[in-house]
Amino acid sequence: MTHTTKRIIMNNIIMTLSTISAIIGIGFLFWILGVLVINGVDALSWTIFSEVGAPPGYAESGLKHALIGQLLIVGLATVVGVPLGILAGTYLSEYGQKSKLAETIRDISDIMMSAPSIVIGAFVYAVVVAPMGHFSGWAGSIALTIIMLPIILRTTDDMLNLVPSTLREAAFALGAPKYKVIIQVVYRGAKAGILTGILLGVARVAGETAPLLFTSFNDNFLNTDMNEPMASLTVTMYNYATSPYEDWQKLGWAAAFILSMFILTLNILGRLFLLKKKGR
Amino acid sequence: MATIIDITEESVLQVKDFEFTYAGNDAPSVHKTTMPIAKNSITALIGPSGCGKTTLLRCFNRMHDLYPGNKYDGDIMFKGRNILQAKEDLINLRIQIGMIFQKPTAFPMSIFDNVAYGMRLQGLKNKTELGDRVEKALKDAAIWKEVKDRLKADANGLSGGQQQRLCIARAIAVEPEVLLFDEPTSALDPISTSGIEELVVELKDRMSIIIVTHNMQQAARVSDYTGFMYLGDLIELGRTEEMFVTPKEKLTEEYITGKFG
Repeated sequence: MTHTTKRIIMNNIIMTLSTISAIIGIGFLFWILGVLVINGVDALSWTIFSEVGAPPGYAESGLKHALIGQLLIVGLATVVGVPLGILAGTYLSEYGQKSKLAETIRDISDIMMSAPSIVIGAFVYAVVVAPMGHFSGWAGSIALTIIMLPIILRTTDDMLNLVPSTLREAAFALGAPKYKVIIQVVYRGAKAGILTGILLGVARVAGETAPLLFTSFNDNFLNTDMNEPMASLTVTMYNYATSPYEDWQKLGWAAAFILSMFILTLNILGRLFLLKKKGR
Repeated sequence: MATIIDITEESVLQVKDFEFTYAGNDAPSVHKTTMPIAKNSITALIGPSGCGKTTLLRCFNRMHDLYPGNKYDGDIMFKGRNILQAKEDLINLRIQIGMIFQKPTAFPMSIFDNVAYGMRLQGLKNKTELGDRVEKALKDAAIWKEVKDRLKADANGLSGGQQQRLCIARAIAVEPEVLLFDEPTSALDPISTSGIEELVVELKDRMSIIIVTHNMQQAARVSDYTGFMYLGDLIELGRTEEMFVTPKEKLTEEYITGKFG
């Protein structure tokens, strides 16, 4: 066997192995999606959106309570987490730059990003739920905000850093004060990237279950009072899916499907924004 | 010792015993420099890479202040004051001393908004006046014909040469007294380059110009005075036509005849 044929055979072996590995990886993704779509679409009906949870056996049963609870909890976390994260990221990129403090904040936020979310749930339980004496929507939002913050902060920091410093210099050279340089030039240049960070941050927290179990807990009825325990899609899904009743399990599939589609949409949108930016 | 000629015109800027040191360095990057900058003239700064010409240029609008730890010594006199003093109002200084960069720096906004940016910073809100001055600046920068039908379009859609002329329009729209050019054509093709050069020459009736270039022919074509810098020292400042024909310093002669650099 010549040296060249040996190399060709080796090349083919490696190529086959990596292709098979890739197919296995992607295969699981499509398997999950397939099962979700088959069971989820089957479980979908208008009552899902119009009715609240009912005891097993009732035909008029839905997820309205969980959908609204989810929107309130994630919505509040977004309203608080996004501006905080963007401002903190702006500090790192535009003011702190390479200083000790800024580098420390970056390191801590990287660690926070990989912290198990159940630990953050336990933390919020200890400092919010226990002193208040009851579970609440507030506590759920606080937990999700804490999880979202480092994601938004780091993407903002990274995206602002990608804006060329010559662009900042050009604005300063026209006599612009620093805050105007940041708001009018740097933010505009990083718009698509920051938006992507926000979408990915929201997508990440929307799928969290563990921190909500400790904080907003659950409610089988419609509740819009953030001071009370509140249903969410994830916790509802957990409860229904693990129940012995078939109609509840169906609701669990519906919740899983709706949640996955929501997060998938956010992820795709985020990627589209980045693509659009690169394409320019 | 350096040969610095006396200029015949009034000077707009006067550099006196000036030194500049970058943050973290012990040795200054521009050494004890004294030179006048002639009013309504074009002064070119030439020299090999790393000679300090861009560093010196960025001192005139205190660009180095954007990064902490940089140090100025000596004086740069402008309108009777030393602009290196700590109390200098940098916003006001940069309105009077504008700058064009090596790479075009079109802001991520429309062509109109780019040119209006400096005027809006100064509080000009009147739409008619803003529109008139944007048009005038774009005409002065010889780009009006190309962009007049798409003023609302994103400025990043323009070519490199167009973007650089847009940046010049943006800078001259606020009528600075001095305009600093930092190798404005090094990223451009020859046709765009000659367009920018013509523009620079036309502008000198209205403002004083300092241009850094590593292209000696460019210095010879556009400038009235040329300063040759080498390793942080200003070796010679002279009238351009004299300096390129009969340089007084040996180093200058070696550089312009291509012996090094």
